[in-house]
Amino acid sequence: MRYAFFVGCTTLARLWAYELSTRRVAEKLGVELVDMPGSSCCGTTYLDTLDHKTALAVAARNICIAEEMGLDIITICNGCTEVLTKANRELKANPALRDEINEVLAEVGKEFKGTVEVKHFVKMLKEDIGLDAIKAAVTRPFKGLRVGAHYGCHMLRPSDVMLYDDPEAPTTLDELIDVTGAESIAYPNKLECCTGPIMGIREDVTWSVGLEKVETVKRYADIMVTACPFCYITYERCQLMAEESPDVPVVHYPQLLGLALALSPDEVGLEMNNIDASRILKFLEG
Amino acid sequence: MTEKKEIRISQAEADFRRRLMETPGAEKLMLCYQCGTCTADCPVAMRVEEFRPRRIARLAAYGQKERLLGGDTVWLCAGCYTCYERCPQKVRVSEIVSALRKLAVKEGIIHPTYRALMRSIAEMGYIYEIGEFENEMREDEGLPPAPAPDTDEVDAILRRTGFSKLMERH
Repeated sequence: MRYAFFVGCTTLARLWAYELSTRRVAEKLGVELVDMPGSSCCGTTYLDTLDHKTALAVAARNICIAEEMGLDIITICNGCTEVLTKANRELKANPALRDEINEVLAEVGKEFKGTVEVKHFVKMLKEDIGLDAIKAAVTRPFKGLRVGAHYGCHMLRPSDVMLYDDPEAPTTLDELIDVTGAESIAYPNKLECCTGPIMGIREDVTWSVGLEKVETVKRYADIMVTACPFCYITYERCQLMAEESPDVPVVHYPQLLGLALALSPDEVGLEMNNIDASRILKFLEG
Repeated sequence: MTEKKEIRISQAEADFRRRLMETPGAEKLMLCYQCGTCTADCPVAMRVEEFRPRRIARLAAYGQKERLLGGDTVWLCAGCYTCYERCPQKVRVSEIVSALRKLAVKEGIIHPTYRALMRSIAEMGYIYEIGEFENEMREDEGLPPAPAPDTDEVDAILRRTGFSKLMERH
């Protein structure tokens, strides 16, 4: 299996543990992730709220790079996932709009053809590799580790664009946590947004929203697992900023899976987590 | 006999509402019956007095441009789409907020954080600088260099769509 790998600015610039663990897990599962030369920011979820046509064109230029590579796109940021999925679906479905955007792209010698798919790494794991195959590859399962999963909004919403899982009762991430031997637990307000996108507008709100969720998770679980750089940053930073930190490790999903696939803590960049996550190692069997 | 009162809005207010409803996403504004599902489920409204999705829909229906675009209101939506999913009328306040931002930008109004982000994308192709220093650090962690964005192409696109010109006014 080969995919074009759209890492996303935030992960490229500062969440190296997320990128590293994703790359190592992919290798371990026989998935080749190929970097996309010349790719830029997806445009951010913000750009579409300012100018729709520009957002489509910036996203489409990135999609064109994958089309030229002949590969479907794998994303690991929920923001990129939504932005690229939305543009891809809209341009595939609306020929008039596609022509309009292609006029813009002609300026840089590109053309959107609509030949590839965009999927989050988590979605690829479940759909293209499958829970059974992943379970078979887990050689060092966790035992007794309770996990509070946080999906992040744009993996699921808007549901008529993402067309993925049940937006009010999703199961994918929970299932993927359970195959590692850990237990994904239920907790109140599980699907509430981290509000990371307004971090730059009202930081205090984001930290308060974040802390509330972390404190809830702490009542039921040992760690929190995310699949998006913004959610990760919110739940980690809100604790670092707090006068009294709840001290709940936040772990990128591929770090959790990687350890269960017998990757070393270094291979999943565990020491880069700012809230000491090494305590999860004692839950590994064998 | 009870006195009949009706809410009248000015021509300017009606014009603003019309422009808003012509912006994709805000077409169903007048279907809002103020049930408040949006506000009840909004993670920001729970903590921020000035951000109330139901109120945004109401003010928009009355074309209250200054009250909508004056403060940080339209920039406080986190874009989580919870109201979008649960709106029984499919009015979708998140889309109305998005339409309001588009009108704001045309009026020369943009939040400084948004302006800075857009400038970064235009200048660097990324929202952060990922240069030699970052790539050396990445290498230390066992990562390949970040793809170098083709900033000429990104710039050409932003010019072609008129976005660069739109941002120059800010």
